[in-house]
Amino acid sequence: MLPPPVATRLVRAHGLAAIASVLVSVVFGLIVALELVLPDFFPSVAWLGWGRVRYAHTQGIMLGWLTNAFLAFLYHAVPILTGRPVTSERLGVWIFGLWNFAVMVPGWVLVLAGVSQPLEWAEFPLVIDAVVIVSLVLAAVQFLPAFFRRGIESMYVSSWYILGGLIFTLLAYPMGNLAPEWLPGAAGAAISGLWIHDAVGLFVTPLALAAIYFVIPASTGRPVFSHFLSMLGFWLLFFLYPLNGTHHYVFSVIPMSAQLTAIVASAVLGVSVVIVVTNLFLSMRGAGWLPRDPALRFVSTGTLFYLIVSVQGSLQAQMTFNQAVHFSDWVVGHSHLAMLGFATFAAAGGVVHAWQRIPEARYNPTAITWAYWLLVVGLVVMVADLTAAGLVQGRLWASGEPWVRSIEASRWYWMVRTHAGVLVAGGFVALLVGLITGVRGAGMAVRSATS
Amino acid sequence: MTTTPRFVLRTAYLVASVAGVAFFVLSVALLGAWPARVLGQQTATMAPEFPLEPTASERRGRTIYAREGCAYCHTQQIRYLHTDMERFGRPTLAWETRRDSPHMWGTRRIGPDLSRAGGTRSLDWQHAHLFDPRSVVPLSVMPAYPWLFDGTPMQPTQEGRDLVAYLESLGRARALAGQEGEAKAQEACQCPDDAMLRMAFEGPLNAHPAQARRDQSIVPALPASTDISGGQQLYARHCASCHGETGAGDGPGARFLTPAPTRLAEHEYSTGRLAQVLWNGVAGTAMPAWRDHRPEERAALARAVQALSRPRPEPTPTPELLETGESVFRTHCVQCHGESGDGQGFARDAVAMAPASFIGQRPTLAEAVRAVRDGVPGSPMAPWTPRLTAGEILSVAHYVRSLYRTPVSGAQP
Repeated sequence: MLPPPVATRLVRAHGLAAIASVLVSVVFGLIVALELVLPDFFPSVAWLGWGRVRYAHTQGIMLGWLTNAFLAFLYHAVPILTGRPVTSERLGVWIFGLWNFAVMVPGWVLVLAGVSQPLEWAEFPLVIDAVVIVSLVLAAVQFLPAFFRRGIESMYVSSWYILGGLIFTLLAYPMGNLAPEWLPGAAGAAISGLWIHDAVGLFVTPLALAAIYFVIPASTGRPVFSHFLSMLGFWLLFFLYPLNGTHHYVFSVIPMSAQLTAIVASAVLGVSVVIVVTNLFLSMRGAGWLPRDPALRFVSTGTLFYLIVSVQGSLQAQMTFNQAVHFSDWVVGHSHLAMLGFATFAAAGGVVHAWQRIPEARYNPTAITWAYWLLVVGLVVMVADLTAAGLVQGRLWASGEPWVRSIEASRWYWMVRTHAGVLVAGGFVALLVGLITGVRGAGMAVRSATS
Repeated sequence: MTTTPRFVLRTAYLVASVAGVAFFVLSVALLGAWPARVLGQQTATMAPEFPLEPTASERRGRTIYAREGCAYCHTQQIRYLHTDMERFGRPTLAWETRRDSPHMWGTRRIGPDLSRAGGTRSLDWQHAHLFDPRSVVPLSVMPAYPWLFDGTPMQPTQEGRDLVAYLESLGRARALAGQEGEAKAQEACQCPDDAMLRMAFEGPLNAHPAQARRDQSIVPALPASTDISGGQQLYARHCASCHGETGAGDGPGARFLTPAPTRLAEHEYSTGRLAQVLWNGVAGTAMPAWRDHRPEERAALARAVQALSRPRPEPTPTPELLETGESVFRTHCVQCHGESGDGQGFARDAVAMAPASFIGQRPTLAEAVRAVRDGVPGSPMAPWTPRLTAGEILSVAHYVRSLYRTPVSGAQP
């Protein structure tokens, strides 16, 4: 049975919106990175203020880049996974318009204009949150019915991750964005801690894993190693991730039993990730260390980053470790490894994979290769650098040295980080070039040559 | 009903799906709602009877703090760790954050924690620091916020004033609760078994090393130092922004501060006096304390400051002139500056700034004349021009210079 036609127009629209958003977000990132090295480099105007640009940076990465990329991937994957078209292409146009022109553009403008919410991973103001929630409901309407109509008994794990990601985000997003407005101080922080983890764990991670689990068998032409392990990993993720959040506030006034729950859950989560990653790598056996298909190469590297970032996360939740690195650049490195390493590589793999299967899409394999290497080198240098910086900062703080010594010691690390950011920006430019230049349908050729 | 694999799978997935949602609900209940309840009880029982509520200006300042993302570099959460407490003070109790919605705890510290920042810096310093951070803290990487000012730190806009009002309110409720409030909280805490929560009541803490204190307690003596070049480096990095590279009081931050930074080149200082200033700062001015620097560093810095002074040959006063000066001093100055010129006059505690001691520091004649003639703007030292004649001003300037005790090496007056 042939799968129903994919809405390639929407795949391409979201793919290009994703890359446009990531370029904007990376520029925001470069601005804040540079301002730490040369604080007076940019004119001191309100809309370029460090905090405001920092708000725009992370919201752009999560909502602009990753969400658009995941939507592009979903428009490709859902019809293939379910054998049914998505609910409505017209609805798709609405979702695209709402997401990019009622969430991203006004969100950025408002944050830079000073209308925002001072909560991590929830910086867009409440009015934008309302549009986000409407769009998430519409996305559920768009993608979920196909799964239910098909029946859930023999669903592939990617489908489960898509179901889980879309449904749980609908629960977690309002909680994280609304509750701290009314719950004061420490109680609000407890909820924020949950959301910081749920944003990554219940939204980004399931969709990234859906893409990884989808691309591997589609690219290698072989089934995954174990459907049992894949389902085990899936359920463990949804049982354990929500219980992790309080590990962002270890040694705080939040009741110690809540902190300990999160710390234990964080350790167990590491085990569940090892299960998932083992299954993924065993599914890729034979493809080599550096698969020839760029989409597979992206997701296999993303899988490796997933392993590293999760083990790192389990470690840094432990009290002795947390004491040494919390509040430092170590954590900034950790979040870059999660969002720019794991999630970005999975999302890029998903987009490139879908692109290769659109006959009318341009495709430039050389540029895609450049994108891969620039992103790998940029990310690895950045994370290694920030990790080292975090260790130095943590040690200086504990030693009782004057505070400003930690700033001085960070300077060189921040310079390296900025340069690594330039490589990352170059990687995303190359990705854009790879998807808008080259011969139309060239991706189809790559696909048959590599699989 | 038959037990087909299809049915078993469906049931298993149904159970798992319910469990998945249940775990999410559990997470919110266990890690969100239950802590909120415990923290609410702590707030109800541990808060002081009548905690001071934020003013309208402070509340507006809070929204500016939120809007500019200050919480992304400055936490407002002192953890129950000694490394945190030694720097920033007592760990944060739940009731202290009862008005914080949305909270500003933060997860990254590029700059220091601000939970108890209120009262640790002078207002003119706050304004200068927000307008142009590097004018007063050369090594700072903080962004400048000129849009909170009308072109100069001396003219903050309403937003600038609100933000500073908010910063000054941080930690105030706990400080005002005082020992009585601490005792009430400790009693309500009922935490004899909770080693961590008990840390909230440890004390006294020598936190906020830069906070200027008007403190009569004993200042640790500085070790002997010959490390002038090390001191000069420290001076260039920390002091020159206000006191100027040569000690002329003309650094970039100087024009924003009242009282103006001392012209160090125009004074001789005993090591003891510098030990005191570096340990306590100068309360009532923007001069912070430097307690976080090691004694050797403070000693080297003191040597570098002493080396800045350029005593020039001054005319030797005649005995008659000194006698006039002494009588002027006894009539007008002893109330604050003390009988012996040690700054311990009976009115010393009634004025906003500690009066200068002339035992440990000697201004040049020109500087002394200028201070008596024009006063020291921003300090309790008033201009004496209309009340004293030029001759009397000259005589008293000579007299205070004669009070300086050249320190015997090793001794620290």
